Amino acid sequence: MIWFVRVLGICLFLVAWEFAARGVPGSVLIAGPSEIAEHIQSEFALYTRAAFATSVNAGLGFVFGNLAAIVLAVIMIVVPKSARLLSAFALLLFCIPLIASGPILRVLFGPGEGPQITLAALAVYYTTLLALLVGLRAVSQNWTDFMAVYGRHPLSTLRYVRARASLPYLFVGLQISAPASFLGAMIGEFTGAERGLGVLTLRAMRGLETEATWALAIISASIAMMAYALLGLLGRRLVGYTPVILLSAPQGQPTQNLWMRVAEMAFIVGAVLAIWQISMDVSGLNRFFAKRPGDVFVFLAESENLATVLSALSETLGSALPGYLAGLGLGAALAAALILAPSLGQVALPVAVALRAVPIITTAPLLVLAFGRGIVGTTVVVAVMIFFPTLVACGQGLRQTPGQIVELFRSYGASKWQTLIKAQLPAMLPAFFASARMAVPAALLAVTTVEWLATGQGLGMLMAMTASTSNYNMLWSCVAVIALAASAIYACVAMIERRILRVYASEQLS
Amino acid sequence: MVGPEIHFENVKKRFDSVTAVEAFSATFKAGQTTALVGPSGCGKSTVLRLIAGLTGPDEGTVRLGSEVPAQVARRGALAVAFQDPSLLPWRTVRSNIALGAELARKPSDHVDTLIELVGLGGFADHRPAELSGGMRQRAAIARSLVSQPEILLLDEPFGAVDAITRRRLNTDLPPLWRDRGTTVALVTHSVEEAVLLSDRVLVLSDRPASVLADIATAPGVPRDSAYRASDTFRELSDRIFEALETGAVG
Amino acid sequence: MTQPTHLTRRFFLQTSAAGAALGAVGGPALAAGATAVNFQLSWLHSVQFGGSYLAARNGYWSDLGLDVSLSQGGPNAPVEPPVVSGAALVGISAADYTASAVSQGAPFKIIAVAMQKNPFAIASLSKNPVNTPKDLLGKRIGMAVANTPVLQALCTLNDIDINEIEIVPTQYDPAPLVSGQVDCLLSWETDLPVAMTVQGVENTTMLMADYGYALHSQTYIATEDALANRRADLVALLKGEVMGWNDYVADTDAAAALAVDMFPDAGLNLEAQKLQAARQVPLMFTDLTDAHGFGWFTDETIAANVETLALLGQDVSPDLWDRSLLEEVHG
Repeated sequence: MIWFVRVLGICLFLVAWEFAARGVPGSVLIAGPSEIAEHIQSEFALYTRAAFATSVNAGLGFVFGNLAAIVLAVIMIVVPKSARLLSAFALLLFCIPLIASGPILRVLFGPGEGPQITLAALAVYYTTLLALLVGLRAVSQNWTDFMAVYGRHPLSTLRYVRARASLPYLFVGLQISAPASFLGAMIGEFTGAERGLGVLTLRAMRGLETEATWALAIISASIAMMAYALLGLLGRRLVGYTPVILLSAPQGQPTQNLWMRVAEMAFIVGAVLAIWQISMDVSGLNRFFAKRPGDVFVFLAESENLATVLSALSETLGSALPGYLAGLGLGAALAAALILAPSLGQVALPVAVALRAVPIITTAPLLVLAFGRGIVGTTVVVAVMIFFPTLVACGQGLRQTPGQIVELFRSYGASKWQTLIKAQLPAMLPAFFASARMAVPAALLAVTTVEWLATGQGLGMLMAMTASTSNYNMLWSCVAVIALAASAIYACVAMIERRILRVYASEQLS
Repeated sequence: MVGPEIHFENVKKRFDSVTAVEAFSATFKAGQTTALVGPSGCGKSTVLRLIAGLTGPDEGTVRLGSEVPAQVARRGALAVAFQDPSLLPWRTVRSNIALGAELARKPSDHVDTLIELVGLGGFADHRPAELSGGMRQRAAIARSLVSQPEILLLDEPFGAVDAITRRRLNTDLPPLWRDRGTTVALVTHSVEEAVLLSDRVLVLSDRPASVLADIATAPGVPRDSAYRASDTFRELSDRIFEALETGAVG
Repeated sequence: MTQPTHLTRRFFLQTSAAGAALGAVGGPALAAGATAVNFQLSWLHSVQFGGSYLAARNGYWSDLGLDVSLSQGGPNAPVEPPVVSGAALVGISAADYTASAVSQGAPFKIIAVAMQKNPFAIASLSKNPVNTPKDLLGKRIGMAVANTPVLQALCTLNDIDINEIEIVPTQYDPAPLVSGQVDCLLSWETDLPVAMTVQGVENTTMLMADYGYALHSQTYIATEDALANRRADLVALLKGEVMGWNDYVADTDAAAALAVDMFPDAGLNLEAQKLQAARQVPLMFTDLTDAHGFGWFTDETIAANVETLALLGQDVSPDLWDRSLLEEVHG
């Protein structure tokens, strides 16, 4: 019966779509399902080859990116002192916009698949890293004590307890990163790849080949959704038990004095600048387009340049904030709604995955067409970019509420709503804050893309101008400013997080 | 092999603004079971943590025989059972118990014997989520014994076990460490349990903990139902209660 | 898709171009003695570079001892970095882009010019056409904000007030025009209007070059270092280009078919390619090239370019152009 209703719903949807596409006279922007199907059939061989090329690159990027994330997370857990420095690097690397990294990757790799794979890897490592860190830290103090009693090193805790305890979180990270890697590979193709769905999308959009644009969006969304579903299945198979999060009592924080913190910050900044300089020097990248810290410093020392960059930054931040908040709110709210009404998930999740999997350059123009070029359009695009990871992470967080607590609430006759507010939302908090941090660079990347494509302001526009002006000083100054802003906002979110988690989930703060 | 003696010499331990233990001197005799009783939050668990080397003293020394706790831990000669069973949800009962041997780098050949002994026969291949609270606790106790430790730390291990099982465990388990000469430190809220299981009872004062009374229970008397019903048993219990009450008043 | 079925020299040449994505630098039969050269195109493969494909397919470069890889560009594949870093010997740029890069310290020279007339045009729908610059007044134009100086230059040249035109930032895509978000687009003569025509959207274009916007486009750039040290390779590359483009203009349909054939994964539409191929002929072949040959430029055309660049806010010396290679090619 349920199946029947579902199939009927899908049919109705398709018919409505078909009518919408045909109803708009002379429409060149909406393609109906029948046209799309026909088009895919006629270009089947081409699309198969392109989908294969993009999938292979996305797959390799997925593997490399996630391996890097796992290695980083493990180092950060085993050597807690390295955590701050490494997370700063991880964040900054994630903040480098494609427009700056693309040309460098192309010059480094030459023709071939290198940039696509690298960009796919860069698109995934950060989300997985954050999700995995939450998982690796979600271990009660009893366990660390237990290992110490047997005279075992923290590595043993990692091996016997953390590794397995973090699996559900790792799979959340992997699930979120599947569509992201696909997107990264497609965008990587913009650096001059010979084949793939990204290349075809670009061509289709410029060629006003509407059926092709829609067909490509549907193909890429389907592949991403399949990867997402497959990883979900694999996760449930492999994890195979109900994970429990053990909330332990809050502990006192090691108090750090101000000078120590300043010194630590200075060390991190120095290390980042050194790595920036050294990595570019070692790769022998030409100073014309690969600017060093000194170049940026000299450039920004001129007050006119600094003023240009700062005013662009304030525009960018101003238009990013509403979308950031909306995306987070929506993701968390929908995750909560799915707990209250699980059947909603069958509709909402595929839509969410699809929105995430279709490249922003395809979705952004459609969203801008629908919502305008003002703050609403920008907000929607940014929200769409961060809504999906938030939804998945929060959904996972909500399911982490220990079963006993939920049963306890049931036994008192508490409603689903009360259980949600009093037990499940607090259990969701670590995942929510991980999403909030993860969303900081994502929101900035999304907003700069919209600025480039639709609103023509802010840092996105300044960076896009590099293409015609070769003003790489400006580009790298923007990169530096974005990275700084992202770190600062990230730190603010982290501060709020610490305050709140101290009450609800102190094991995360170790 | 008889376990080493545990010796506290004038130990002080503070946590932030709270002094958990101060001027604490005590000896847990080699191969004996010593129970720690005292008011809630008096620092009993801190004493156990100091023995395990999970935390170090601010002042004074903690010695296990001639060694410091970390050395003993590194040999895999320590074991612990907490109030919370802390079983790994993805391992079966058998492999959770075997973990104790694995971590201590000891052979795990008597895992199945222990499973029978703690009454979990037939549940060896179950996962913790399928067990009751009491069964999980028994698995945790079995895990602490499987490595045949020289020093065993029990922190309210029977707290979550039902009365019948508790009585059975109280009879069945002690021989396992007694016969091997294990030095045992037992934290318990139950005065009867302290008298029943231990050779000596240390009654601790309210925070910061110090020893109010050091009471030897009946040496050489078998711990059976006759002992439980004896006058000696009652007298010992009364003495401990008395000491506890003095501490509470003082 | 036609796949080559016989192993000829041309086959290897073709695969070395089309298969650049596999990192293949020429085929084994060709490797002996040929100098590998990377040629950085400015955009995705299409008949826009038809002459280069003909040079490759017809073996002009291999006859001159070159093994040329054609690297395609893309929205995030600027031409200047690979040329500056030596990853590419020659790149396809435009006079304004090159001038900017030089002002940022890149040691570039323009060594030949494929598009004598600048391809920038104002595209509009035929029912609401922009035929002259005056028609722009009061209209909404969709363009990248980064191109504002281009529009400003057109306005200055034709004495109209840019403030009376509403600039709407859009992506480079005909959709905003077709969906009515804007009245016209700043686009190339040869891509978005062609797409609209092929899709049956009646449109009108106004070529900016016809209204004083004199700026060389699809220019060949190389570094001063390459000019000094790899002169023979540069001359050979340009020679092949000239021969290829001469074949191109003789039969643009064949060039379009070749582009579709060589790049089966590019998703090219033959009809659109044919139209594009025909439409770029008047931009590339003029009286000047009839007289002197493909790619040529004179002191006069340079002077006109310098003037336009001044309107764009760029102070450029005629030294930016270097004709010595072309003189060798055509001499």
